[in-house]
Amino acid sequence: MSRVSFSLTRVRLIARNTLLEASRQKLFSFLLLLALGLVGGAQWFREFNFGASELKFLADLGYGAMAFFGAALTIAATAQLFFSEIDNRTALTLLAKPVWRAEFVLGKYLGVVAVTAVFCALITGLLVAMLWSRESALMREFPDSFGQGHTLRIVDLAWAGYLQWLKLTVLAAFTLLVATFSRTQLYTVVTGFFVVVICHLQYLAQDVYAQGGSTFGQVVAGVLGLMFPNFQLFNFADNVGAGVPVAWDRVARVSVYALGYVAGGCGLSVFSFRQREI
Amino acid sequence: MSTVSPDGPAIDLRGLVKDFAVGLRGVKLRAVDDLCLRVPAGQVFGLLGPNGSGKSTTIKIILGLLEATAGECRVFGVPSTQVEARVDVGYLPESPYFYRHLSGRELVRFYARICGLGGATLSARVAEVINWVGLTAAADRLVGTYSKGMLQRIGLAQALVHDPRLVILDEPTAGVDPVGSAAISELILQLKARGKTVLITSHLLTQIEDICDRVAILDRGRLILEGAVRDLVGGAERQALIVEKLSAQELEELRTWLGSRGRTLEAVEQPRARLDQIFLDRVGRSESTNREGGA
Ligand SMILES: Nc1ncnc2c1ncn2[C@@H]1O[C@H](COP(=O)(O)OP(=O)(O)OP(=O)(O)O)[C@@H](O)[C@H]1O
Ligand SMILES: [Mg+2]
Repeated sequence: MSRVSFSLTRVRLIARNTLLEASRQKLFSFLLLLALGLVGGAQWFREFNFGASELKFLADLGYGAMAFFGAALTIAATAQLFFSEIDNRTALTLLAKPVWRAEFVLGKYLGVVAVTAVFCALITGLLVAMLWSRESALMREFPDSFGQGHTLRIVDLAWAGYLQWLKLTVLAAFTLLVATFSRTQLYTVVTGFFVVVICHLQYLAQDVYAQGGSTFGQVVAGVLGLMFPNFQLFNFADNVGAGVPVAWDRVARVSVYALGYVAGGCGLSVFSFRQREI
Repeated sequence: MSTVSPDGPAIDLRGLVKDFAVGLRGVKLRAVDDLCLRVPAGQVFGLLGPNGSGKSTTIKIILGLLEATAGECRVFGVPSTQVEARVDVGYLPESPYFYRHLSGRELVRFYARICGLGGATLSARVAEVINWVGLTAAADRLVGTYSKGMLQRIGLAQALVHDPRLVILDEPTAGVDPVGSAAISELILQLKARGKTVLITSHLLTQIEDICDRVAILDRGRLILEGAVRDLVGGAERQALIVEKLSAQELEELRTWLGSRGRTLEAVEQPRARLDQIFLDRVGRSESTNREGGA
C-alpha cells in the first residue's frame, strides 16, 4: 500500500472551499455596511475641521473600526466555518477520504485567514483613499501647514493594515484551537472574545512582571505573558496618522512574533483535533 | 506496514469494542461489543440490526472516524487508524448533508480532487458518476436546494467518483423513492460485477435479501447472526407456481396428482400485484422519458 503523504494541494482545496463558503454565505456583505459607516463618520467629523490633527483622528477611527470589526469577523467566521463542517457532518465525509486531520485543520485555518485578508485589504484600501483625499483637500485649504507636501505615506498606511491582518491571523489560530475541543459554536465565540480582551490587556500582566511583587504573581504574569500574545504590539495607527514613518525592522520583528503564535496555535489545534471524535 | 494479500478480506474486525461516555458521571455505553467480522472482497455484505444496534458506529470505526476502545480493525490489511486505509474506500454517511454552498457538480468535483483525481479526465469522470446516479438535470443547482433523496444520490456520486475498491453505504435508500431505490440496487449489483466490495446497511430487508451475498445481524452491539443469504433464507427445496384461477374441482385433481407423486400442495394463495411493483411500472416509465428529456 502506498503511503499517503501530507499534501499541500489538499490543504489548498479545503482552504479554497472554506473561502468560497464564506463568500457565498454573503459573509462579506457586512463589509459594505462598515465601509458606508466609515465614509459617513469621516464626513461627519469634517464639520469640526481639526486641520492636520483631523487626519490622525481619522486614521485612529479607521484602524480602530478595522481592529474591532476585524476581531468580530475573525471569531465569528472561524467558529462558523469550523462548526458548519462538524454540525452538517461534512467533516465526516471529508475525513473518510484519504485526508490527514492536519490537512483539514490547516485548510480551515488558511480559509479563515484568506477571509480576513480580503477584509483587511478592502478596508485598508478604503482608508488610504479617504485619508489621502482628505489630506489633499486640507492641503488646498491650509497650504501653510503642509509646507513639505503630503505628511501621510501610503506605504505606512498599508503596513498598518498588514499588521492589523497579522493580529487577526493570530486570533484565528487561537479561536480555531478553542473550536477544535469545544462542543458548541457559542462557547467558541465567547471564549474567542475573552482571548481578544486578554491579548489586548496582556501588557498589564507584563507590567506586573516587570515591577516585581510576589513571586507567585510574577510567575502567573510571566506565564500569561508567554501564553497570550500582546496585541498592542500590532497597533501602528497612532504613528501612521501622525505621519511618523513605520520602521521596517519593527514590522519584521512583529511578523516573526505573530508567526510564532500562529505556529503554536495551529500545532495545538492539530493535536487537539486528532483526539476529537467526529 | 503489512503486505496485502490479494484474496484477503476487504474488512477484518477482531474483538472490536466501542464505549461512549454518556451521562455526567462518566457512565459508559457500549455501542459495539466484541465484534468479530470478515467482509470478503468482491461481495455485497449487508449489516443489519435495529436502531441503535451499532451499525453506524462500526462503520465509523472502519473509516477511522472513531477510535475503537479495544480490538482491531483492518481495511485491505491496513489498520483503519492510518490514512492509507481510506485510499480505496468510498463512503456515503447516513442522512448526509453536504456543502450547501456548492452545486452538485462542484461538490463531486471537490471530492474527486481531494482523492487525487485531476487533469483532463476529471470533468468527464464527474459527469459520468452524476449521470450514473441520475442527477444530470440538477447537477448545476446548489446542493442546499436538493431534496432528501437527491442528497443521497449526490452522496453516492461522491462516494464512487474515485472508483474505490470498497464502497461503504450507510442506509443509501433512506428517503429515496422506489424507483431510485431500485436504481441503487442496480448500481450495487453493477459494482459487484466489476469486482468491488460493498458494505451496506439498510432497514429495507427485501432489498438486502435481493442484493447481498452475506449478511450480519447486530443487536445492542453484539453479532447475533452471520452467514450467506442463500443459506440463511433457504428455500432451495421449495417452489411457487402462479397459474390462472383453478376451479375447486381442478384444484382437487391437482392435489391428487401431486399426491400420487408423493408431494403435497402446501399453500394456495391469491397473488396480488404489490404496490411497489405498480409504482415501479408506472413511475419508472414516465421517469425514464422525463430524465432523457431533462438531461
Ligand atoms: N457520539 C456518540 N456519543 C454517545 N453515544 C453514541 C454516539 N454515537 C452513537 N452512540 C450510541 O451508540 C449506539 C449505536 O449507535 P449507532 O448510530 O451505531 O446505531 P445504528 O445501528 O446505526 O442505528 P440506526 O439504525 O438508527 O442508524 C446508540 O445507542 C447510540 O445512542
Ligand atoms: Mg445508523
